[in-house]
Amino acid sequence: MANILTQNDIQHVDYKDVDLLKQFINPHGRMVSRKRGGLTAKQQRAVEAAVKRARFMGLLPYVQK
Amino acid sequence: MAEDTKVVSKDEGSEELGLRIYEVGYHVIPTVKEEDIESVVASIRTVIEKAGGSFIAEGAPALMKLSYAMTAREGDKNVDYDRGYFGWIKFESSVEASETLNETLKADRNILRHIIFRTVREETRARMKIPTLREVRRTDAIKPAPHHVEDTSIPVSEVDLDKAIETLTTD
Repeated sequence: MANILTQNDIQHVDYKDVDLLKQFINPHGRMVSRKRGGLTAKQQRAVEAAVKRARFMGLLPYVQK
Repeated sequence: MAEDTKVVSKDEGSEELGLRIYEVGYHVIPTVKEEDIESVVASIRTVIEKAGGSFIAEGAPALMKLSYAMTAREGDKNVDYDRGYFGWIKFESSVEASETLNETLKADRNILRHIIFRTVREETRARMKIPTLREVRRTDAIKPAPHHVEDTSIPVSEVDLDKAIETLTTD
């Protein structure tokens, strides 16, 4: 099955879309692997950059206890 | 053969002029009064404008809870903040202008944290509704189903009970 980014034709991943990014992090706040998330390599890189920006700006946690 | 024409999009044209698309995200410290936030944002805008930048899109600062406490230096002591007014501006400017803005925001005491990065002119926010695991409508009060306990018990004599048990056990 196609992933959520492909399904909705999302070309750019914004770091402010916290709800979208939450689909790709686990309950501990770590990134989900590409195999599990079902993203293409390009999408995974885009999500990774967005998650890192969101973490830096305090929109997402670095670690969740 | 068709003439070899070079199509230059608007972004490429701007690129040749040394202009790039940037986005700045910032947190204004929560101790700033609500009415003074606009002046903080205005100061960011003037820095961009002075350096010859133009605005593309903007998100007004709104108070939000941070995922973790951020430390800011206030005078000679560190202060932890667990919330901030988060806002963002997308703009087009030269590389130098973005560097100037970076330095200005770093020096600004009212800015808790900021980020500047290159982006694209198009809207980057997802227009879809993200599926959530559970959706609870606060307006609908959940009423417990009426619990009926009907008293259908009829007095049973000891003899009948013994008979019934016997028939069960013999089978």
